[in-house]
Amino acid sequence: MSHKLVDELLAGPGEAAPPPNGRQPDMRRVVHRETHSSRAAVSVVAAVLVMGLAAYGLLESAVHAIGQPAWLIEPQLAAERIVALPAGLSPLLLGAGGAVIAMVGLFFLLNAVLPGRRARHVLNSGNPSTAVVVDDEVIASALARSARVAANVTPEQVMVVVSRRQVIVNVRPTSGVPVTEQAVLAAVEKELSEMSLDPQPEVRVTISTAGVIGA
Amino acid sequence: MTSTPSFLNRILIGILGAKLLAVGILLVLLATVPAVGTWWHTWSGAAWRGLNQVFDGTRFPGRPESWLWIMMAIALVILIGLMVAWIAQQGKGRSNLLVAEFDPGAVPGDVRISGGVAEQALKHALAERPDLAGATVATYDVRGIPALKIRLQPRHGVAPHLLAAEVTDLVAALDAVVGKPTPVLIHIGAGARTRFSRAERVR
Repeated sequence: MSHKLVDELLAGPGEAAPPPNGRQPDMRRVVHRETHSSRAAVSVVAAVLVMGLAAYGLLESAVHAIGQPAWLIEPQLAAERIVALPAGLSPLLLGAGGAVIAMVGLFFLLNAVLPGRRARHVLNSGNPSTAVVVDDEVIASALARSARVAANVTPEQVMVVVSRRQVIVNVRPTSGVPVTEQAVLAAVEKELSEMSLDPQPEVRVTISTAGVIGA
Repeated sequence: MTSTPSFLNRILIGILGAKLLAVGILLVLLATVPAVGTWWHTWSGAAWRGLNQVFDGTRFPGRPESWLWIMMAIALVILIGLMVAWIAQQGKGRSNLLVAEFDPGAVPGDVRISGGVAEQALKHALAERPDLAGATVATYDVRGIPALKIRLQPRHGVAPHLLAAEVTDLVAALDAVVGKPTPVLIHIGAGARTRFSRAERVR
């Protein structure tokens, strides 16, 4: 992630840089945009917050500049109250207010710092000008189908969880009909290797000891 | 795919978050630790006296108000303008043209092909497929180069690599029609429409 950030810093945010390698956009960058969540919504919230505070400050300073009485609180009085702070407010209220502000700050800070990966994988296609990004949910449902066919059970008896580096396949066999773990594992791994995901996840198959009756 | 300034977003959100976090922690400490209270009194008292002197020194001749208030109002107007500009940068990047090039052929001139050509053709080709619950195609401008984003919503159990290969073939056919290769992003995703639709059973 960090080298990506450096790339974007070098390219400059929002600038129309000359296209690299001829008339091809940087597909790596496009894929990075697609597999990481955008901070556009958080940015708009932050900008609106700053605009609200600035608008209030503008109102008070403009009112003060033309010598009119203040709207909510005289800036002089507000500053004096802030200087005298632990006094004049109940510690409970002050602590709670501080905690709320700190929480909002932490929310913004974490949004800025965390990588913000989406539950998506890149599918390696041979074509350099075509990038394929797949939601983990779609991968899971495709793997569930192949596991179901290999184990010869109904769709309700298979559950697949796909995370970034791991695929967990849970199979509940029909009572009295044995299911071999090897067959399910082989089927799922074959399907997965055909997809050739990036990063390639590891497969783990769990066959439940309790069977399902009448499936 | 859009030209949202992601690095700028991170920096500005980070600055705002760090400031709010610092103010919140200071308030909590003021409420709980008495020693912080005494430090705050000396520090902020000195700062406030210094600020007062500045304000006293910048009065309009013959009037009690300082012209610093007007400067502050102007600075805040500029800040609001910058925030509006920042919001305006979010999510830009849709474009209308798929090709816009000078063609020095028998009849020299500009050739422009609307993005609607690709969007309509691909949507029509994908609409009949029984394994898709939905498909949308949009043209984006990635740093001056037009690119297509194809968003597919397959039904349950559809193998994404086979679907991607077939759609790539469609794009290759489109490239042959348009006359130049178009960079394409295929996003195979799940949504409400796929979650509540029946599984495709034939494939």
